Amino acid sequence: MSEIILKNVYKKWGKFVAVDNLNMTINDRSFVSLLGPSGCGKTTTLRMIAGLETPTSGQIIIDGKTVFDSEEGINVPPSKRDVGFLFQNYALWPHMTVYKNIAFGLENLKWKKEQIDERVHELLKLLKIEEFENRYPGELSGGQQQRVAIARTLAPRPKILFMDEPLSNLDAKLRTEMRIELKRLHLTTDSTFVYVTHDQLEAMTLSTKVCIMELGKVKQYAAPLEMYNRPSCLFVGDFIGSPTMNFIEATLDGSDITFSGIKAKFISEKEVDIHENVILGIRPEYISINHNGKIKGKVFSTLPSGMETTVKIEVNNEIITSVVFGGIDYTVNGEIAFDIIGDAIIFNKETTDNIAMGKIVIE
Amino acid sequence: MNKIFKKSLNRSKSFFSEPANFILTIFLCIFLVTTILPLVSIILESFTVHKQETLFYGKPTGSLTTLGWSSLLFTGNYDYSIKYFYKPLGNSLLIALIASFVAILIGGVFAWFICRTNVKWKKVVSALLIFPYIMPSWTIALCWKNIFANTNVPSIGANGFLASVFGIYAPTWLVFGALPIGITLGIHYAPFAYILIGGILKNMDANLEEAATILKTSRARILTKITLPIVAPAMLNTFLLVFASSISAYAVPVFLGTAVDFNTLTTSMKYFNGNKPAQGFAIGILLVCLGLIVMTVNNLLTSKRKSYTTVTGKSGQVSYVDLKKGKYPIAILGMIVVLLISIIPICSFALESLLSTPGDYSSISLDFWIGDANDSVLANKYYNWEGGILRNVTVWKSLGNSLLLSTVCSVIAGTCGLLLGYGIVKKKHSKLSKTVNTLSFIPYLIPSMAFGMAYMAFSVKAGILYGSFLLLAIVGSVKYMPFATKSSTGAMMQLSGEIEEAAILTGTPWWKRMTRVIFPIQKSSFLSGYLLPFISCMRELSLFVFLIIDSNFIVTTLLMYYNEKGYDQYGNALNLLIVIIVLLVNFIINKLTGASIDKGVGGN
Repeated sequence: MSEIILKNVYKKWGKFVAVDNLNMTINDRSFVSLLGPSGCGKTTTLRMIAGLETPTSGQIIIDGKTVFDSEEGINVPPSKRDVGFLFQNYALWPHMTVYKNIAFGLENLKWKKEQIDERVHELLKLLKIEEFENRYPGELSGGQQQRVAIARTLAPRPKILFMDEPLSNLDAKLRTEMRIELKRLHLTTDSTFVYVTHDQLEAMTLSTKVCIMELGKVKQYAAPLEMYNRPSCLFVGDFIGSPTMNFIEATLDGSDITFSGIKAKFISEKEVDIHENVILGIRPEYISINHNGKIKGKVFSTLPSGMETTVKIEVNNEIITSVVFGGIDYTVNGEIAFDIIGDAIIFNKETTDNIAMGKIVIE
Repeated sequence: MNKIFKKSLNRSKSFFSEPANFILTIFLCIFLVTTILPLVSIILESFTVHKQETLFYGKPTGSLTTLGWSSLLFTGNYDYSIKYFYKPLGNSLLIALIASFVAILIGGVFAWFICRTNVKWKKVVSALLIFPYIMPSWTIALCWKNIFANTNVPSIGANGFLASVFGIYAPTWLVFGALPIGITLGIHYAPFAYILIGGILKNMDANLEEAATILKTSRARILTKITLPIVAPAMLNTFLLVFASSISAYAVPVFLGTAVDFNTLTTSMKYFNGNKPAQGFAIGILLVCLGLIVMTVNNLLTSKRKSYTTVTGKSGQVSYVDLKKGKYPIAILGMIVVLLISIIPICSFALESLLSTPGDYSSISLDFWIGDANDSVLANKYYNWEGGILRNVTVWKSLGNSLLLSTVCSVIAGTCGLLLGYGIVKKKHSKLSKTVNTLSFIPYLIPSMAFGMAYMAFSVKAGILYGSFLLLAIVGSVKYMPFATKSSTGAMMQLSGEIEEAAILTGTPWWKRMTRVIFPIQKSSFLSGYLLPFISCMRELSLFVFLIIDSNFIVTTLLMYYNEKGYDQYGNALNLLIVIIVLLVNFIINKLTGASIDKGVGGN
């Protein structure tokens, strides 16, 4: 069991609160992503769990053992937490060869020479970097360095593996390849992965659970698809998904909803009784363009990417984004009609919390 | 109760389990003893009646008095205060100003041409430019005297090079006084300015200038509106450091000031040291205050400077200013200047040491190098005959002592600096680290002479160590530790923390992380932290002048003795020997390890 529990964890630098009362449980063998814009405290959280940073207060338990407790004054050093850490800039030792970089940690753990040799070659093979065994990090490309860094981190077979934006320095193509490999590694190594990223696509595709943070606070901690479909607040809805969700000012009066001059019915999944100005959130793929659409608009701009096309539609001075499958080039300023399908979300205008979900029916 | 105890035990256990915290705590204690205690002792000494002063103040030895301060600052009779304090103070400030100006002018101009243009012979010029900093500062003064001295000037018996060869008789103000002192000090510190300003210019993102070029800005305008403002903080930094160092210069004012009764705070201090120590200590305190003011101003400026140092951009391409046809004439001009300030002094020492009659450039002999001490012919020929310096036991002994002292100081200062740099950078956001960082810099800005005096007061009072080799080693190590700390802090800053963290996570013990990971990566920078204390110590005089009882003890005090006695040929020969040894050590270490002075001072 390599379960990680964080209780009331705070990290402050002077008056600045980097992590604000964090409570989280990371299950054994899960792949959890910490997601958020830069400066939201995700890297700090990761470093605190690994023991590279000391929390201001709180408690951290790994595998049933308290590794940090501000009340008791306990702070177990990182080397005794049985964790691996993959750094953003790889942090390979420039004066050691690839082989030495991977073997160095094992030497410290007093492994036998034959064992080390065997393990290093196993990893070189696993990560397909056998031919670089005797090269120095400076002589490798970014992607190769990345693989060496992964091999070095995996070498001592850590139960928990932390990764701090490990793919951010790679080009787009390599990043996709490494993503697949990381996901496979998660299965083969049987370890718990904690992954920090600001790329929502990475978090969505890799993780079993995503923790989204803003200004040091957890906004939502859920499985990727749940987060996509049922964002807890406007921030989460906005951060996840590309192109981003449509946010339209609306007035909700029981089951009547009015937005950009359109009157419609709102059929909530649960019974709610709201009479106020709200923000209506609709995913672009739920704006379905078709000739018989009940809402009429004008094409504002169109962005075909081949597989899909993002269309910006102007409806009564409001811009609504839609995504259609396939590359279709709409005429700018041309007439267009669409329907709203799928679930829409009602956000409270002040708190931006998700207060209701349901269908929009145009009369 | 038990719980609180357990909690604090756990806390301190995890606090000290981090080597960086341990190092910082130890050094905090060390600095309290090595820096604060001597300072307290000079303050006390300045209020104490010493044995020599009992008659003068009419109070018994050891009693407390403010008379030292009041007579130094407010004695109107015979213009006492003016003569011994206010005028020297003005003189000190004046020479420090001239020196800073000269250093920045020479260093800045060379830095710009070498880092920013396509001028020729960059490598040679930049290598030779470091020489004046390696040479003892007063040797340049000695060279100045060798060149400009003439019989029209008071207290000069023989003509110098210009007068005897070209018949040019320089006026007194060009031979002695504020101007020559300021200029020679300025030349000595010019390499320092070159390294600091050059470091910024080299790191400056070329995009900044290119952006202006694209906006059709003229070269001159780019220089004045973009480049200069960016290096302005480095220039100010240099100005303050040179200013602080020049204020405490002692030997140069002695060589180029004594003859015309030109006194500075340091010569005044030395004068008081013999008969009115309390007043000497009072001057020492004022020098320390000047140093601290400079440090405070510098800290205020450098904290703002941070936004500038981040200009290291991605653009690896440096766009050099094309000097076109000018690149050869400018290179030749630069070469001439460099030769004047680095090669000429060495040649001058060589030449003067070969003259059997000072001023007579036809009387060449090797007597003062290899002459036999017992040779009666030579003993009759020269009134001060002691034998050639290469055959003189005293010279060899003092040379040995100097080398030993410099080695010991460099090992202690370098190692402590390395550890300090590690601790400071590792914990850079903590209060402890900031405190230790500030404290570690204090010895750098306390004038050498005041520093030496503080230790003298302290060790005489404590009744231990005075006159011992150990005391010299401690003083030298403490005084030069800031050099090592600075270069090691710089090296650690460049090293991303993750490099060590990657090793921590695999359970590598601390000493192994230091020796196997951190040190090898930044080897040359760390070793530069050893080199600089060695060189500084080898050429140091004012720091040790109060602490050495026997003037034969180290080579610089021996040199001072020769110069004071007017044994010109011995002085020049010994001087040349020191310069050669220091240059040789610098060269060998540089070739073997890649360590260099510029890395030590903070350049790249």
